[in-house]
Amino acid sequence: MSALSLILGFLRAILVLVLVAVAGFPIYWMATTAFSDPGQLYASGQVPWPQPQYFGALVAELEGLPVGRWMLNTLFVATGTTVVSLLLGSLAGYALSRFRFHGRGVVGFLLFMTQVVPEALILVPLYAMFVALGLLNNLLGLVLANAAFSLPVATFIVKGAIDAIPYEIEESALIDNCPRIGVLTMIVLPLIAPSLAAAAVIAFFAGWNEYLFASTFLMNRTLWPASVGLASFIGQYETPLSAVMGTALLFSLPAITFFLVIQRRIVSGLTSGAVKG
Amino acid sequence: MPELVLDTVAKTFGDTQVIRSLSATVEDGEFLVLLGPSGCGKSTLLRMIAGLTEITAGEIRFDGKRANDWSPRERDVAFVFQSYALYPHMTVRGNIAFPLVMDAFRPWHHLPLVNGWMRRRRMKDPAIAARTDAIARQLELDPLIDRRPAGLSGGQRQRVALARALIRDPSIYLLDEPLSNLDARLRMQMRAEISSLHHKVGKTFVYVTHDQVEAMTMATRIIVLDKGEVQQIGTPDEIYHAPANTFVARFVGSPSMNLLTVDGEGAQLRISPSLSFAHGEAAPRAGRLVFGIRPEKLELRPPGEGPLPAEVVVVESLGAEIVVGCRLQAGGTRDHLIDHDLVFVRRPGNERPALGSPCSLSFAAGDVVWFDAVTGLRLKP
Repeated sequence: MSALSLILGFLRAILVLVLVAVAGFPIYWMATTAFSDPGQLYASGQVPWPQPQYFGALVAELEGLPVGRWMLNTLFVATGTTVVSLLLGSLAGYALSRFRFHGRGVVGFLLFMTQVVPEALILVPLYAMFVALGLLNNLLGLVLANAAFSLPVATFIVKGAIDAIPYEIEESALIDNCPRIGVLTMIVLPLIAPSLAAAAVIAFFAGWNEYLFASTFLMNRTLWPASVGLASFIGQYETPLSAVMGTALLFSLPAITFFLVIQRRIVSGLTSGAVKG
Repeated sequence: MPELVLDTVAKTFGDTQVIRSLSATVEDGEFLVLLGPSGCGKSTLLRMIAGLTEITAGEIRFDGKRANDWSPRERDVAFVFQSYALYPHMTVRGNIAFPLVMDAFRPWHHLPLVNGWMRRRRMKDPAIAARTDAIARQLELDPLIDRRPAGLSGGQRQRVALARALIRDPSIYLLDEPLSNLDARLRMQMRAEISSLHHKVGKTFVYVTHDQVEAMTMATRIIVLDKGEVQQIGTPDEIYHAPANTFVARFVGSPSMNLLTVDGEGAQLRISPSLSFAHGEAAPRAGRLVFGIRPEKLELRPPGEGPLPAEVVVVESLGAEIVVGCRLQAGGTRDHLIDHDLVFVRRPGNERPALGSPCSLSFAAGDVVWFDAVTGLRLKP
């Protein structure tokens, strides 16, 4: 029996190692490519591990580029998208879950439609709208465009989570003299924190990785987010691979950190014990 | 407080009429029980009193003032839900203190983010903390005060729900089947605790249950409901001894009142063509009637000694008393058992008659309750 469980444990460990290797290899290769001799990258025989002695060369190559600025822009867009999506998604999800009103089904359908339409399809009409509204070359405009796509997802996640909360808990709060907005913010939202975290992850990464809108709506180089900045490395005759990988590495660090911070919140089971189960 | 008046109150959900034209007055300080089977509209009525469900027609008056459109808060009620509806993310202390904290909030304290911070601050308020501790001690929750609802047993959660209702000193307590999720022993204990609580606080309690034992033991007055209509309003004694109709007679009491459809001709009553028996007094009127008698008013006798011949079919021992189910018999042989509901006899002691043994049933004429066979209403003697 114990021999069997030992073998199973061993197999499980191997499986985990394989998964970690598959997921971690791209990051490892980014680091390897970033810290290597640029000459080697275009010939054969790249050293398969990072070589710290080329750190100076990488820094020199990135000098003069507004990489920090691009990162801040990305952070602003991703955070903005997350905040707008969660804020409006909580309100919309609550309304869709708890209130019966005319057009409720239509609202749900339209939200769903936003997920069916590809972004590229509405790029031109959106561009025309942005011109009219003066939102071109404006990070806030980019936040709006991104939120338009992640808000419906957040709304559905929040609605699904609120559906699972017994309404009696809210009624109880209403009787305890808590107004609706208090019911939402003090009772409901804490109970669906895991779902909010999941929605936040989706919205944040949608904003973080977004390229199409950013490259279309932002002409000013200092307003670019990192995704557009990275793509600008690709030249007609040459692509500085170590610089691309170095920036990409830098670019993925905040995203990884954000995920590590928030993944602790993505645990369910908070609602257990509220009502007799 | 206030007298609570329900004036021709009605509720419909779509095409379904849940409550049709119900009128009642709840006096100050009484323990009113709404009793009825599942789906009779009793919980809906309670929610209408609380302001959680809108009223379709009629009027609810608190102290003479029309309250149809008042919010739950304006009605100043406390509500204990069947599921307890505790806040799972708050500790026992947070749950109990919540109503007081909300009362202490200024309008701007309700702003998102501000409210979470203000709630924690208010909970440290000495007055609120002291009151929370006092209520927790009263309901023996003080050792659990820092736990969350998930870590409590059913009975403990129920006490937290009660504590949350008690802390605010409202004018009416509304309780929606609060004991239905508890086991039998705990239910009996909580029943006694809620009764003593009612005596202590002296406020009006409106209590919904389908359990007639709860109704009989706790109520000062009972409203029996069926299909959204009031069947009877009265004290537990009135409901038990003088049921207004056959529904109440059947619903209240365990086992319920024995009801036999008979054709009366003077003091002679005919149950079937082959079985008639003599009743000590004349029936209130001739023709088809329902003859009702409580199980404890029937006496089990050797065959031939009582007016109703029968055979023992079921014997249930409850420890201090036994319940005997009999089938009436015509002509004294097994072939003539009458196809009818069992007639139950309840008697003290634990002497069990043998199954299948013949017997007879006797009763005192004064214990019989008569009902109209068509309307089901009780006939006055």
